[in-house]
Amino acid sequence: MTDPRPYPGTAPATPDLDAESDATTEFAEPISLPDLALRSIGSAVAIVAPESWEILFENGLFFEWFGPDADADAPLGTRVTGLDLEAVTTKLEKGRRFSWETDVTSGARTVSTELEIRRLKHGERELLLVEARNISKRKEAEYLLDSYSRMAEKNARDLQREKERAEKLLLNIMPRAVYEELRDYGSTTPQRFESASVLLLDFVGFTNMAIANDPTSTIAELNDIFSAFDRIVELYGCERLKTMGDAYMAVSGLPEANPDHAVNLAKVALRMRRYIDRRNAAHPEAWRCRIGLHSGPIIGSVVGVQKYVYDIFGPGVNMAARMETLADPMQIVISEDTWSLIRDEFTCTDLGDAEVKGFGTQHIYSLDSESSGRFA
Amino acid sequence: MNQTIFERYGGFATVRKVVSTFYEYVLEDEVVSPYFAGIDMRRQIDHQSKFVSMVMGGPASYSDDHLERVHRPLGIDHAAFVVIAGLLQEAMEDHGMAPADVQAVVKEFAAREHLVVTT
Repeated sequence: MTDPRPYPGTAPATPDLDAESDATTEFAEPISLPDLALRSIGSAVAIVAPESWEILFENGLFFEWFGPDADADAPLGTRVTGLDLEAVTTKLEKGRRFSWETDVTSGARTVSTELEIRRLKHGERELLLVEARNISKRKEAEYLLDSYSRMAEKNARDLQREKERAEKLLLNIMPRAVYEELRDYGSTTPQRFESASVLLLDFVGFTNMAIANDPTSTIAELNDIFSAFDRIVELYGCERLKTMGDAYMAVSGLPEANPDHAVNLAKVALRMRRYIDRRNAAHPEAWRCRIGLHSGPIIGSVVGVQKYVYDIFGPGVNMAARMETLADPMQIVISEDTWSLIRDEFTCTDLGDAEVKGFGTQHIYSLDSESSGRFA
Repeated sequence: MNQTIFERYGGFATVRKVVSTFYEYVLEDEVVSPYFAGIDMRRQIDHQSKFVSMVMGGPASYSDDHLERVHRPLGIDHAAFVVIAGLLQEAMEDHGMAPADVQAVVKEFAAREHLVVTT
């Protein structure tokens, strides 16, 4: 019963430290206390020769975890399945200890172990100490930690995506500068823009078109056209403000001031008309628009708390709407204020004085083409 | 969207291993281990894991001001900083990170030397 499990390579019993008590011990073959400690310890320990990897000593647990399948004298590399001896050598040559995690079977259980190899001096002799500890509990904790952090990382990514999506939606209904003010301060202040331009576009006989044809397909076509307008507006650094039924409103010079607001918006107006022209040539259904442009002071603000709308106010907005109603189909009518800002770069026709509701007599012009002649 | 180094190597699970190996080396190193005498290594490893996550492009958690404030009283010199950077590099290599990624992280790390080195 006192005899430890016999296994190869066991160190010969060291001289008995407890010799004095020999007489009183009941063990037939008493072993030394250091030996007893080594055999009972919870770590697997072995001492290995560096060059040959021959196992010179091992304790019971090492034999249990890394027992030989056949050859009891097999070197370390054979006994410890999967051990990369080259990696061991590399680490040891750097003056570090080698550390490696591996699973071993112990009876019916799988045990996670951490195997460490370090250099050992025994007198003049260079030896290697191989030590393996049961780290199953640690591995369980690490598994939980990693699984939890993966979940947290995934949630963080989902949240970020959701945030970006919400931001994108809000940017559709208000300019970025206003969105940022709303995000950072929770509210926005109405802002007066001293010089900006407003474009208003409407389709002639839209209501009748929707009735005469399939309303669904008419709206689908309207959506196509407005989407094309959005791209034109974006191309010239203007902003699509809103659509109301078949009306489309774009602005330039707000929320960021832009000295070229009238010129940019005039270019947009010409390209919108040209788009409609081109489209009519290729489609059975002819769309005809009126466009009005005006430049002047405008107030911009977010309106509403839950249902945000960024809108513009002031007489300038009404004036743009009046210009539009004065336009013939496929005509762009501009106020004198806009005309004075763009006259050098565009060809316009003087339409004379017109009675404008709320504004009295106003001199108006039609915008015909860019002076460079690219757009007629 | 390009994945960050943090994401490509499996996120926090890898950072944790790198940092654990890194401190093993740090505590064995004669030059830098004295800086960690009397330090609660659990908290230290926790901080460093978040910091390394950050320089790998993971969730950001430390501002430059913060890094400067916590390192100022420690009297860290350039030589110690270089050793630390080298040990971090070795730990990342141990865990199978590609050389280009290791270099990218070391570069991010080194870019913060002025916040940490005071003597």
